[in-house]
Amino acid sequence: MITLTIDGDEVTVPPGTTILEAARGRDIPTLCFDERQAPFGACRVCLVAVEGSPKPLPSCTTPVREGMTVDTRDPTARRVAAAIVELVLSELPVAPAPHTELAQVARMLDVGEPRWPGETHAVERDERHPYLAFQHELCISCGRCVRACDEVQGTFALTATGRGFEANVAAGLDQGFRDSVCVSCGACADTCPTDAITEISLLDLVR
Amino acid sequence: MGGVSRNLVELVRRHHEQGAPTALEVLKEAMDRRGEITDDDRRVAAERSGLPEAAVYGVSTFYEDLLVPRGARHVRVCTGTACFAATGGAHVEAVEAALGVGLDQRSEDRSVSLAETVCLGYCHCGPAVRDGDTVDAGPGVLDRVLSDSARPAPEPRLTSLLAEPVLTRPGDWAGFTTARERDPSELLAAVKAADVRGRGGAGFPAGVKWEFASRAANPDKVIVANGDEGDPGSYIDKLLMEDNPHLLLEGMALAGHAVGARHGFIVTRSEYPRSKPALDAAIAQARAAGHLGEHFDVHVVEGGGSYVVGEETALLACLQGLRGTVSARPPFPAERGVHGHPTVVNNVETLCNIPFIAREGADAYRALSPNATPGSKLVCFNERFARPGAYEVPFGMTVRELCEDVAGGMDGPIKALQIGGPLGGILPGTRLDTVFDFEPLAAEGCMVGHGGIVGFDAHTDMRAVATHLLRFGANESCGKCFPCRIGLQRAHAMFATGAPIDRTSLEQLLEAVEIGSLCAHGGAVPAPIRSILAHWPEEL
Repeated sequence: MITLTIDGDEVTVPPGTTILEAARGRDIPTLCFDERQAPFGACRVCLVAVEGSPKPLPSCTTPVREGMTVDTRDPTARRVAAAIVELVLSELPVAPAPHTELAQVARMLDVGEPRWPGETHAVERDERHPYLAFQHELCISCGRCVRACDEVQGTFALTATGRGFEANVAAGLDQGFRDSVCVSCGACADTCPTDAITEISLLDLVR
Repeated sequence: MGGVSRNLVELVRRHHEQGAPTALEVLKEAMDRRGEITDDDRRVAAERSGLPEAAVYGVSTFYEDLLVPRGARHVRVCTGTACFAATGGAHVEAVEAALGVGLDQRSEDRSVSLAETVCLGYCHCGPAVRDGDTVDAGPGVLDRVLSDSARPAPEPRLTSLLAEPVLTRPGDWAGFTTARERDPSELLAAVKAADVRGRGGAGFPAGVKWEFASRAANPDKVIVANGDEGDPGSYIDKLLMEDNPHLLLEGMALAGHAVGARHGFIVTRSEYPRSKPALDAAIAQARAAGHLGEHFDVHVVEGGGSYVVGEETALLACLQGLRGTVSARPPFPAERGVHGHPTVVNNVETLCNIPFIAREGADAYRALSPNATPGSKLVCFNERFARPGAYEVPFGMTVRELCEDVAGGMDGPIKALQIGGPLGGILPGTRLDTVFDFEPLAAEGCMVGHGGIVGFDAHTDMRAVATHLLRFGANESCGKCFPCRIGLQRAHAMFATGAPIDRTSLEQLLEAVEIGSLCAHGGAVPAPIRSILAHWPEEL
């Protein structure tokens, strides 16, 4: 077992545990993390300070070490995490719905008006599938839907696409859910933190 | 932890063992054959590589080589930093005007297409333009492209300043012949004692990487030579792969001997069309001579046009034909790399140091650069210098000695130098007495990096340099981590408008990108921007 200190509390966990897992129950914001999936390390919102590290580290992909001292509320880590969430909000043409994880994390980090506004994602919708709708403009490329389809469902109907600012997600050869190998399991909609992918019935309820 | 899909890697491994090509290889063939990629090509690539169709689609939207549809004549213009230093970017507009097509466009009649490429490795005589498979560069290049009479550019020269060269001595397999008779632990100990620091940018000790991999439980180990670093302004690996391929192969065979690997891969850049043929020919010779084959063999994989693929986890994704995005470590490649096997990833130049150590020993290697980082280093200069080319030098010379005595200085004062690649800070011409070594350069916010030295003359507009570097940074972001993906696009937009820069807002943005990013790309693109803020604030 490994013993470390998190926010002044001694915590003992098995080797191979990540800081995020060891800090369960504490308020560490995350966007690309889903405990049903392997950690991905893309959103960089779960930053924490680790004594001896020159800069904050992502808690989701950093394994614990014996004697480690972690501060989950380090001001630099929180400032950078808030800036990152601010950037994410600035790439969406509309604000995410208040119940989404993205909106919750933005509230938790007290993200204000965007300091770096600019180009937003083009509106592109796939609503031809009977159960699943995809609003590509709300996609933040967290990879959760792709990993749900790969790791949880084993269907491989989804992929990350593009690179840099053009990054997004596509079903099949980008023909949409209906013409892909999607089996309508809904794991992608279930994990999506922005409602870019939703189940149609849920969408109707909201409307 | 990681990021690359274990399921996809397992699919790639199984199909590789049955001799299947990777999805990237099939897609590149389709592009070369027909000049565009259709959904049918993607389905064929899925079928042949064994990857799911969606994953193939993802690959087809990632690599530069697959993105721009090609006309009968396909022209690629270099937008690397050395070509930018040569013309301020004017050559790009001139080629667009001459061909009548915009950047990354194909003419309606499909007769001609123009793509941007970074970088062709002719920094010693920029600007460079690739017309079909001919790379032309230097004075008159634009006229020749205009008149459809491109001719091969002169290749850069590689000169050693050392009495006993390490990297310019042709690879003769003498070190390998000696080492293979001895226990692998002796070579591993010698490489550790020689304290070989990685020459690709990070400077990580090669011996430590080797030791991790040699201790890994999985006996099926792999050596990968990273020849896809792609730093604009550096043509060091190009020269080593094309002019001295046996030295690299010998270094890889030695690495294989030391860690117990049987398979080796070299990932080359598609921007260097001569590299793969040169290496393939050398591999055939080495097999015939009995150096490669049964115990350790090497295969060459050509990349698809992506700078971030120079990062080791992205490199391994590319090698396996997947999207070249970065993965979080752990697991480190030494634990889980190519096809899930323990993998050593070393830069080309790093591996080229090993034959000397095997032959002469660690003490002789350390003695090459007294009181400095052990061994020697290749540096290369852009066309602004009087004697541009690549030089093997000891560590510990001053930057002034390198720029003035070795490269002959510039016509006029040196305004600034970017050393080590696009992620290196910028050294002002007033600080040329800085010693060329890891720590002294780091103290100036700069780095040894990959050894490319791009000089800017007195006419250079430093805001334009910042804009150029941020454009490169944003274009080449792999798109995985949020701060790099969005932050570099925003930082470039701040500079591109020409409006005055709000320094507070820029510094806050740079902090988020620098601290937040997953790999050294986002982590270090801010470094040269910070240098410009520090040394030339009046130009912003």
